[in-house]
Amino acid sequence: MGEAKFLDPAIVARLGTIDLKARTIVEGFLTGLHRSPYKGFSVEFAEYRQYLPGDDLATLDWKVYARSDRHFVKKYEEETNLACHLLLDVSASMGYGSGGITKLQYGSYLAGALAYLMNRQRDAFGLIAFDERISTLVPASARTGHLRAVLLALERLKLGARTNVAKPLHDLAAAVRKRGLVVLVSDLLDDPATVLEGLKHFRYRGTDVVVFHILDPYELAFPFEQSARFRDMETADEVMAVPSVVRQDYIDRMQAMIAHYRRELSLVGIDYCLLETSQPLEHGLMAYLMTRRRMP
Amino acid sequence: MFGVSFLSPLFLIGALAAAVPILLHLFHRKTDVVIDFPSVKLLTRAPVQNHRRRQLRELVLLALRVAALVLLAVSFARPYVAGAVAPASAPVTVIALDTSMSLSAPGQFARAQQAAQQAVDSAPASNAVSLITFADTAIVAVPPTGDRRAVRAAIAAASAGAGGTRYRTALARASEVIGAREGRVAIVTDLQQAGWEANDDGGLPDGVEVQVVTVGGPVGNLAVTSAARRGGIVTATVQNYGPGETQVAARLLVDGKELARTTAAMAPFAAADIELRGGFANAGVAQVVIDDAAGYQADNVRYVALDPAPAVSIAALVADPTGATGGIYLERALSVAGDGREFAVTVADGRVFSKWTAAEMSRHAALVVLGTRTLDRNGRELVKSYLAGGGQVLLTLGPEVDPGTLGDVIGAELGVIPAPVRTAGATLVASDSRHPIFRPFLIPSGALGDIQVDQRRRLKEQDGRTVLARLSGGDAALTEQMVGEGRLLVFTSDLDNQWSRFPLHPSFVPFAVETARYLTHGRVQRREWTLPDVPAGAPPAPGVVIAGDGAAARRMVVNVDTRESNPAATTVDEFTNGIARTNRSDQVAPANVAREVEDQQRWWQVGLLVMLVALAGEALVGRRAA
Repeated sequence: MGEAKFLDPAIVARLGTIDLKARTIVEGFLTGLHRSPYKGFSVEFAEYRQYLPGDDLATLDWKVYARSDRHFVKKYEEETNLACHLLLDVSASMGYGSGGITKLQYGSYLAGALAYLMNRQRDAFGLIAFDERISTLVPASARTGHLRAVLLALERLKLGARTNVAKPLHDLAAAVRKRGLVVLVSDLLDDPATVLEGLKHFRYRGTDVVVFHILDPYELAFPFEQSARFRDMETADEVMAVPSVVRQDYIDRMQAMIAHYRRELSLVGIDYCLLETSQPLEHGLMAYLMTRRRMP
Repeated sequence: MFGVSFLSPLFLIGALAAAVPILLHLFHRKTDVVIDFPSVKLLTRAPVQNHRRRQLRELVLLALRVAALVLLAVSFARPYVAGAVAPASAPVTVIALDTSMSLSAPGQFARAQQAAQQAVDSAPASNAVSLITFADTAIVAVPPTGDRRAVRAAIAAASAGAGGTRYRTALARASEVIGAREGRVAIVTDLQQAGWEANDDGGLPDGVEVQVVTVGGPVGNLAVTSAARRGGIVTATVQNYGPGETQVAARLLVDGKELARTTAAMAPFAAADIELRGGFANAGVAQVVIDDAAGYQADNVRYVALDPAPAVSIAALVADPTGATGGIYLERALSVAGDGREFAVTVADGRVFSKWTAAEMSRHAALVVLGTRTLDRNGRELVKSYLAGGGQVLLTLGPEVDPGTLGDVIGAELGVIPAPVRTAGATLVASDSRHPIFRPFLIPSGALGDIQVDQRRRLKEQDGRTVLARLSGGDAALTEQMVGEGRLLVFTSDLDNQWSRFPLHPSFVPFAVETARYLTHGRVQRREWTLPDVPAGAPPAPGVVIAGDGAAARRMVVNVDTRESNPAATTVDEFTNGIARTNRSDQVAPANVAREVEDQQRWWQVGLLVMLVALAGEALVGRRAA
């Protein structure tokens, strides 16, 4: 699947509401998906509505007709026992963006697209936005109109303070009682040990987890040239650095952190997907569907 | 009461320059690139400089730069602790403490200090108190202050030296200290008679009360008033200033080693010459020491320089050193002066002389021109520049001198009529027998009259030319005039026994020697000094002073002024009557006192030192920051 077929996140950012963005991303993605080997994932419909001329007669529910003498069409419906929790990091570090889009924007679009996709699949889904505490909570639901609520919440998100991934993870892990899926969208700029501990908490309770690690290209390549004071967006600590001197050391540390997450999450069966904000959002959808496909 | 004042407060404006590094610092801060970045914690552990440390370092650098500039401005403003100076309007009691040699008898200065302490105690409570110590010079040891403990401490720290007494100098200083305010002077002294002898100025303003506190001196005093070496003998003159007969033991020391000792009886108020024989070399310093435990101590020693005085170099320019005109008579005449050590004559003909450099020429204290026939252009320029630059030249107008080139030689038109004039048997007559050259001929008078001159050249009358001697008939024989910075003497005949028989006459030697001495006056290196005159840079104390280094080093001796050795005192009435009173409007402004206070405190030096330390620190910190 070539990159050219996907939408540039910067272009997506220029689209209107997040509703439109999510739809554009997902519909485009699904259009492409018909030609992909990933089609055929399980969705069932179970909805009744009055027969309208033109409806397939095969969809008429004869039993209902027999009882009520009215024509109802049986629509397929998924068994809605899967609750999807979208966890979106809104800490201050997510506000960084070297190009036309910040990590938070990218994460929001991804969360919106996932919500849209989940809605199409009739999965129940909810949204939790957090920094060092939960700032926005939309409980998981498959109700009609829930998508709009989630997308609206995404649109209204504001940057928070410091990251504390572990706390909302532990809180949510304790609250989730039935089978579900947790999607974490974060830059993971927290203590890796506490992040991993929180994510493992879900796995111990049988919840599937997929982690979208959102990073800006500048965070990965550190392409700065001029000596400058680098101010931490969360702690405001400043470090004077000569990029040419510290670049390689920084990149090594960043790659070590990524490798550490990838390795440790893999060991506990958590899908890890590193996304640069310059990459098409469809990559995230694809990763999600891969995870979803493995689920019963 | 204590506060900092400045002699030149306008320099404090320079402290505004401290704003420059501050502005630069602020400007630099504004232009500093700050990048908000999420993964800074990955940078923190990288080998980069912590910004806060850098910021601290920049602040230290800024502080050091600002401190250096402020200190520079403050130092130039000449700060002083003004609190040590009482307000200009406060009445003041000036304690003038005599520290001259005549206070140096055993126990005498301790009594003077006690009297001075009492004078401090008895000063009116409303008065500020100041302390002046005086001998040859007067020093404001403590400017007017309310801190009497400081005055007492300064009195306790004072000591009697070897200087002479100069009351007028002390009074002038006290007058400056008092300035326009009400004042009184308590002068603690032995009333040394010689104290008024110095020909200096000084008095007290009208209305200033004088309290004389007398400190009695010794009954008598023995002093070595002079000492001179003659061959292997040092003759010392010892003066007994006491009313009783006494025996004095005198010793001769050379470089600390005793070479001779003798005892002499001293009559009351009389002097005696004591000869001390010792085999000593022509180098070093001898000391004649007498034992006088009861009298002044500084005059018990007299220093004698044994090093021969260096000969004064004189150049003689001749036409031909090997011929009859070789300056032999002049050379021989000068060789007898000062036991043959006073002059060193260098004879050179025109060819040799022309190769001399100006530096070589300047080493000679005088030049005698006996012949110019072999002198080329370089030589003429050398003579001209030597004379114009302050050289001393005796020009003879004998047959070996070419009158036609004299203008080139001297650099001035002399007005010489070239044709020689023959006047057989003309005699010399001094125009002013008191002139230094002719002083030896005063007695027997008329000695010059035996000198016969057969030929000469005539000089035209000129402004600025003084005729020192004439020949019978009225023509000038010896003239003097200034040319440029130098002095030119012209002898109108020759000194080589060609046109006159003067070199063969007994008067020639004293004439040549005195002329040479007259020309070289001031170039003789002085070996003996008497306080308060001392060689430049030497302390005002008796002893040996070494000037120069290595082979050029020479010893000089400094002795006390023996006028101070006489313990004869004046009376209080005579003393107070001797004080000149001045109009208050003539008084020196208190600013002089402030200047003196600042001079003593010298905080500007401390300021500059600290500034240098700050700059060094700035360089160090700056280098580490780079």
